[in-house]
Amino acid sequence: MAGGGGEAGACAVFDPPLQGLQLVQQGAEARLYRGQFLGRAAVVKLRFPKRYRHPALEERLSRRRTAQEARSLLRCRRAGISAPVVYFVDYISNCIYLEDIIGSTTVRDYITSVLQSGKDTSNLFLLAEKIGEVLARMHDEDLIHGDLTTSNMLLRPPVEELDLVLIDFGLSFISGLPEDKGVDLYVLEKAFLSTHPNTDTLFEALLKKYSTTSKKSSPVIKKLDEVRLRGRKRSMVG
Amino acid sequence: MQHFTHQLELFPDCSVTLVLFNDVKNAVALRKKAMEGSIDGALINPAMIVDPFQILVATNKAVHLHRIGKMKTRTLNAEIIFNLSPNNNISDALKKFGISDNDSAVIIVLIEDKEKTVNLEGIISQVEGQQVSLAELNKITDIAKVKKMYKLTPQEEKIGTLLDGIICRMSTKDIA
Repeated sequence: MAGGGGEAGACAVFDPPLQGLQLVQQGAEARLYRGQFLGRAAVVKLRFPKRYRHPALEERLSRRRTAQEARSLLRCRRAGISAPVVYFVDYISNCIYLEDIIGSTTVRDYITSVLQSGKDTSNLFLLAEKIGEVLARMHDEDLIHGDLTTSNMLLRPPVEELDLVLIDFGLSFISGLPEDKGVDLYVLEKAFLSTHPNTDTLFEALLKKYSTTSKKSSPVIKKLDEVRLRGRKRSMVG
Repeated sequence: MQHFTHQLELFPDCSVTLVLFNDVKNAVALRKKAMEGSIDGALINPAMIVDPFQILVATNKAVHLHRIGKMKTRTLNAEIIFNLSPNNNISDALKKFGISDNDSAVIIVLIEDKEKTVNLEGIISQVEGQQVSLAELNKITDIAKVKKMYKLTPQEEKIGTLLDGIICRMSTKDIA
């Protein structure tokens, strides 16, 4: 158990950590806290040690994911893709201190609420196109997100402006391969359609915009079609 | 006059004070004193600073690394200056972000913790210049020079402020 001495200055591994931070979410991978950092609203993502992992693996994996996340966030921003600003990375406790997008809504919640309210869905099609466009730009930078879901996309307030911010780059990596980009889209497709039933046309609009925005889209879409044939409960017969 | 103090959230025993001076006449002497250690603070070129947050981020990282014994430079003050740079070249960072002999403005960063108290009046008296509020910083910042140093991409400027781009580079330069 991490003792007091080594913790000085490091992000605390126990609950609750540093004063003023409140736990916002507990995921399988990390805990998310919200609080003030150097006078600004910040979000702290702590990759806590997983006891079930072998310690050597644990250390390397957590550190790698933390570093990858920070690296990818910078890469996104350099390409003009909206992602949170990285304030500080603590490689001892594998914490990232990020800009808090105040008042944001996840795309997941937004889609759900619009569908539930039965209101005009034309904004959803615009949103789908926006997402397709952003992903196209991301993939053109050879950046693979690795965990595309509608919970990993935020909308800045006011939501109607569709100001999209991508988050959670822990599983991201660099690759130019259409296969990797195809899989990235496939992951989103599965997540999208299972979270938001009967939204096939929405996702189609997303892919259409992706195709027209990305210069390298056609091999990617081709791979996506191939990957779809591979999935669970799919026959790969001839 | 207004100086700016902030207690580091991650190191509650540690507080950072920023003091801005204009019309400085003895930059040469100040530099010497800082290097000798008779002024225990980081002397920063304010033309390269767009917001006090930039210095706080550099200082926070410096204190963190200092406490775990993993600084890249030899002193806490040098580390603060080094952390402002978007690259990993130490001497280049100290040259660009530290003060030069003919500078007429300077920001002094002072760190106070359990082991060290800060004699603000003492430091101020050694500067032959006018202490001014940090709000005056925007008149002193050389935006063109800052943009050239941090090399923000045109796309980046559309999705955030200059400060956002600066902070990102500062915080990720060791693994980028």
